[in-house]
Amino acid sequence: MSRYIIRRLLQAIPLLIIVSVLLFALMRATGDPLATLGGRRQVRSADRERLSRLLGLDKPIGLQYLYWLVGNDWTTIDTDGDGEGDTPGQLSGVLRGDFGTSLVSRGRPAMGIILERIPNTLILMIPAEIIVIAFSLAVGVYSALRQYSLSDQVITAFSFVGYSLPIFFVALVSMTLFAVKFRQWGWPYLPTVGMFDPQVGKTTSQVLQHMVLPILSMTIITIAGYSRFVRSSMLEVIHQDYIRTARAKGLGERTVIYLHALKNASLPLVTIVGLDIPFLLGGAIVTESIFGWPGMGRLFLDHVTRADTPVVMGILMIISVAVVLSQLVTDMVYALLDPRIRYT
Amino acid sequence: MKQALWLLVVLFMLGGLAACNPEPAATQPPATQPAAAEPVATQPAPAATAVPPQRKVATFAWTQEPDTLNPYYTNMWFSAILHQFYNCWAWEYDDENVTFPRLVTEIPSVDNGGVSEDGLVITMNLRDDIVWSDGTPITAADFIFTYQMVVDPANTVASVYPYDYVASVEGIGDRTVVMTFSEPFSPWESTLWHGLLPKHVLEPVFQSKGSIDEAPWNLAPTVGCGPLDFVKWESGSYVQFVRNPNYWLGASRLDEVFVQIVPDDASQTAALIAGDADLGTFPPLSDVPRLQAAGLEILTINSGYAEGWFFDYRETALPGALDLKVRQAVAMAIDREAINRDLLQGLSVPANTLWDALEGAGYVSPDIVPWTYNPEGAKQLLEEAGWTDTDGDGIREDAAGNKLVLRHGTTTREIRQDVQAVAQQMLRQVGIDLQISNYESGYFFSSYTDGSPCALGELDIMEWSDTTGSFPDPDHYYWLCSELPDEESPWGANYFGCDEVLDELFQRQIVTIDPDERAAIVREITQYIHDQVYWYGIWVDPDYWVVGKRLTGYQFSGITPFYGILEWDIQ
Repeated sequence: MSRYIIRRLLQAIPLLIIVSVLLFALMRATGDPLATLGGRRQVRSADRERLSRLLGLDKPIGLQYLYWLVGNDWTTIDTDGDGEGDTPGQLSGVLRGDFGTSLVSRGRPAMGIILERIPNTLILMIPAEIIVIAFSLAVGVYSALRQYSLSDQVITAFSFVGYSLPIFFVALVSMTLFAVKFRQWGWPYLPTVGMFDPQVGKTTSQVLQHMVLPILSMTIITIAGYSRFVRSSMLEVIHQDYIRTARAKGLGERTVIYLHALKNASLPLVTIVGLDIPFLLGGAIVTESIFGWPGMGRLFLDHVTRADTPVVMGILMIISVAVVLSQLVTDMVYALLDPRIRYT
Repeated sequence: MKQALWLLVVLFMLGGLAACNPEPAATQPPATQPAAAEPVATQPAPAATAVPPQRKVATFAWTQEPDTLNPYYTNMWFSAILHQFYNCWAWEYDDENVTFPRLVTEIPSVDNGGVSEDGLVITMNLRDDIVWSDGTPITAADFIFTYQMVVDPANTVASVYPYDYVASVEGIGDRTVVMTFSEPFSPWESTLWHGLLPKHVLEPVFQSKGSIDEAPWNLAPTVGCGPLDFVKWESGSYVQFVRNPNYWLGASRLDEVFVQIVPDDASQTAALIAGDADLGTFPPLSDVPRLQAAGLEILTINSGYAEGWFFDYRETALPGALDLKVRQAVAMAIDREAINRDLLQGLSVPANTLWDALEGAGYVSPDIVPWTYNPEGAKQLLEEAGWTDTDGDGIREDAAGNKLVLRHGTTTREIRQDVQAVAQQMLRQVGIDLQISNYESGYFFSSYTDGSPCALGELDIMEWSDTTGSFPDPDHYYWLCSELPDEESPWGANYFGCDEVLDELFQRQIVTIDPDERAAIVREITQYIHDQVYWYGIWVDPDYWVVGKRLTGYQFSGITPFYGILEWDIQ
């Protein structure tokens, strides 16, 4: 097993380099970060020329990638525009842990910007994922055990409706109902946006209140989808011979369902959750934008629209590494859940 | 299982609601106490039963997060409008967009001796009572330091304009600043000293690092010179300001201004209606009736912007765009009143020139006759110019058989796409085929070498909202021949063409010091651009503000919106 893990990790190195080359090329093709600098007007041509030179954006894309990867502290930058390098570069490069500085918030380390947002994303995404897994299993198992009953039909109908809803619709409707209308009707209400009420301050209670609607919006749709996986997987498993054998041995129904059937039926869910985990770090772009939640999804959106290569590349590389690692962990979990699976 | 499922559902929903109050917790102290607003030593000990008064916290919803708080490192409107909270301009603008002195005793002019007769030397006298929020006096040294930082090539400031026109900035004592130009520079008043850098805070950073790019002050300007003190900026979430107790003009009525970042327009509307935000900006125009029905006030403030079509008349343009009569026909075939009425909810009016907002200052030719919707007149013009529909497909051709096609491009903003669709139909009525396309603004405005369709001449008509080069000054640089982009100078902003008449006028006005003489040149420019249909205005594009029911005492400027934040209050 150890050799397998080491082999997988070594295989990941060239994969990540290839991914970084592709992502860097795509990022640089998204537009000119200096075109407007986020303003309502074009940047003056003299300023664009100056900033392009100072930020290294006038270099060929291959050289820009090289600087991003290994740094530019071995060369000089032409700060005064005379065509001659006069000041040593400051970048150490990703291989030495330096993702560079943001082009939008110039001078601000890209990784610092990213690390600031990760906790906000995780406190939203981890509870959401736990709720999704818990509810999907509960609803899926409940539905499978009562196949074609009225409750199964109702759950199926709601699942299809829920799965069909776009997340922005769920988010805006829930905000309008629970935050705007409830307040207008004089009922207890939830806040619309942000992490806390400035009049009260950033207390645990405030943050929890502000988490309700984003989590509700994210989980409804996902539960609707995942519960269908669990239901179908469970239906397949409970008709297998070994379940019949377990019942014939006289095991209790709960033991048969939760110990034998659910363990095998959860394998497809493990695959899906394994794919989800790295993207927990990426946040939820739509939900975070609608509820003004300062997470990674919004950070990505804000910076990708302004072609801020260092920050966007930082986010994408973190997610890429997380994808590689989570797939490795998922494979390990397979082996734990299914003794027939062996890695050598 | 069933019970557990329902219990989880109910707990999840009610868990959050149970913690909510129909009314805000009026007696709860804020989590973040303003460090400087109320010195502890001077506060009377509260009685055991006394209920502390509710702090006056105004929440402003910003749909974009500021990129930096260093005024010289940003072009963002959402960053720049915060300057009047924590920073200071030498002079600011009131609700009529008229300057008034802030750091200086009076605005320099030829009459008061602040501007030399030749326009090369400008002298500013600073007020005696101006101080940074930490109590350090603001002196001429801060102005000199600011100038040095902007022009130093080690600093990646957003723009060195107009300081690259300044030959020197010197101080005479602590209270007099003298700026010298190598040649007359008319737009100085509207471009200089949009913010001040505290020398005593930033100079040590510059000396140790050789640049102020990474100065913590850029993101946390805890030492400022505005009516409010910066407290905290939590990335992606909020920027918090409290009252500056050392402000020389007195204490602000608000205890705190909390700038909440709300990136989604619909969420901004919901937050405003719910009362979670007291001020919003640029609401979706389709939401305006809802906001008004909820009792919120919509204000439109003239900031000099106008949405318009820029025509390309370079060699790369299609024959139609190069034909003056076609451009005139286009101007007559578009029903701008209908666009304003139907697409903009009647909140704006057609713009006639890019200088419309400066009409009161005498910069717009009085002889301009606005284009009016006249499709029959447009058809007649096209016939006169030799554009006729010979093959009966509804699109006209010239004598050589070239179809009358115009390529129109703009950004992906929804209202612009709507305008494109409407204009396409209107122009088809007169036999013009408008081919439309949309681009992300980063690509649309990218450079010649990065493939900008504007720079490369792939569009005959380009639409966006713009203002003069430095509103409220009438100068502009877009039409200068030196700004034409090519391989050698890929960042040029002139996507239109080199018209030597226009180029000469623009170059002459910028060095003309006499205000009347300069205004006459600008009037000539406006008339020329109108007659040539180099720019065709679609609507006047003001700043939109949505004001909540709790706010009082507010007034907005189009240039320094929060110039009067000192007087803002909450009911």
